[in-house]
Amino acid sequence: MMEVDVAVIGSGPAGLTAAIQAHKSGARKVLLLEREEELGGILKQCIHNGFGLEQFKQDYTGPEYAERLIKELEKTGVQCFLNTLVTDLSSDRVITALSPEHGALEISAKSIVLAMGCRERTRPSIGIPGTRPAGIFTAGVAQRFVNIDGYLPGKKIVILGSGDIGLIMARRLTLEGAKVLGVYEIMSYPGGLKRNIVQCLNDFDIPLHLSHTVTEIRGKERVEGVVISKVDGNLRPVPGSDKSIECDTLLLSVGLIPENELSKKAGIELSAATRGPVTTEAMETSVPGIFTCGNVSTVFDLVDYVAQTGAAAGTFAARYGLGSLSAGRQPVDVVAGENVGLLFPQRYSFQDDLVLFIRAAEPVEKPVTIEVAPPGSKINRLYARPNEMLRIKIPKEKLAEVKHLIMVSIREK
Amino acid sequence: MAAEKRHFVCVVCPVGCEIDVVHDGSEIISMEGNKCEKSEEFVTQELIEPMRILTTTVRIEGSRWPVIPVRTDEAVPKRLFPSIMKKLTRIKLQAPVNMLDVVMTDIAGTGANIIATRTMPRE
Repeated sequence: MMEVDVAVIGSGPAGLTAAIQAHKSGARKVLLLEREEELGGILKQCIHNGFGLEQFKQDYTGPEYAERLIKELEKTGVQCFLNTLVTDLSSDRVITALSPEHGALEISAKSIVLAMGCRERTRPSIGIPGTRPAGIFTAGVAQRFVNIDGYLPGKKIVILGSGDIGLIMARRLTLEGAKVLGVYEIMSYPGGLKRNIVQCLNDFDIPLHLSHTVTEIRGKERVEGVVISKVDGNLRPVPGSDKSIECDTLLLSVGLIPENELSKKAGIELSAATRGPVTTEAMETSVPGIFTCGNVSTVFDLVDYVAQTGAAAGTFAARYGLGSLSAGRQPVDVVAGENVGLLFPQRYSFQDDLVLFIRAAEPVEKPVTIEVAPPGSKINRLYARPNEMLRIKIPKEKLAEVKHLIMVSIREK
Repeated sequence: MAAEKRHFVCVVCPVGCEIDVVHDGSEIISMEGNKCEKSEEFVTQELIEPMRILTTTVRIEGSRWPVIPVRTDEAVPKRLFPSIMKKLTRIKLQAPVNMLDVVMTDIAGTGANIIATRTMPRE
């Protein structure tokens, strides 16, 4: 059996950053496992700019951002296994993996970082009635076809869901000569970032229809059209509001789900809200020595946030592997209070500052106060939107006296 | 030109202020809705000429993938996007290409270059 100090599963922005940081933090044998033939994860197909504005103060495209991290990784002694699919993970930190080059592998790691990312919700996950023709893609699959494989998936396109990847693809497909007829969103507010609505839709006169959904897909061999309906306050289609639209392609941008099959195999406790591991501020899961970062933990808005959790996971995984992580105090729960829809991390273990990522349950387009109690910290923001994560930091010193739990609330000022 | 009203969403920062602007075609007469001064520069530029970075792909031979991602190395007039895209369909690169290699200079007379945004080794 192969033995390493830190094993990182996945080489997207989270995994790359975690591996670099584990090495910098003193771990000698760091192994990075990637199932694809290249490092970089989903960044390779995200050819648009807007990456790294916070972290590097640079406006990178996805591939540039990835290459910057890969070059940094190459300067370390981190070992990379490409084309290597992890098939099993045990709670005592043994990884089973398969690769054409190395065959069947068993790897025993002193600590492990989960960085498998997320996957897209598909047609079955939202249950659209109708036929099953060709021409229905998730936005990320279409992105891969266009940006890596050089294919255009269709010419007359309807996009369901206003997630960021859908918005980015609306612009991308328009540039490539396709006609994007409209983006339809079931909620009364957009799913993606405001700047993507402006730069991807408004810039190209692509209409966004809120409170609308696809209620039927038509076509036998290939998509021939979709039926669009208005929805009411309970997200139910309004009778008589149907409209038929002719198109050859339907893209779905209807949400992302952390990819936690391996976490489940290791018996890691998952959160019903984030669908990722229940995590401490040190990025440790419920299984000692297994850490998590990036979109496998919870779906983040920005790559900068993904990399930040990767850095924390790499640091603490290295310390754990080196035996220098103090047992510390019993963690306390971090709990979602008023108007908090999603919260990460869910536990505090008194080892580092508490950096909280928060999504509001309902949009508030007015100044808000984010309250963290105890210690009773109040942080002001200009607004709180479900589609834009709020990030706040509570210093470790302020949390030393916390006994039971930490409650996070968002209130109008 | 007579005064006209126009609505903008400022994208300088993530707040995304919704701004109502009264302008005379190239200059702001009055504006409301912006929470800071940065919007003024943004709106002024939008009135004169909206400028954007263009990111896309071009064909490549001799590499693992048939296309390689590229971008303009500075913002270019948005209205020139269709003609830039058309020019880029006509080129085909040969691997290897390094990240930031110039693929085409002075694209569509903008003064901007098209540069590769990843390294593509020869395979």
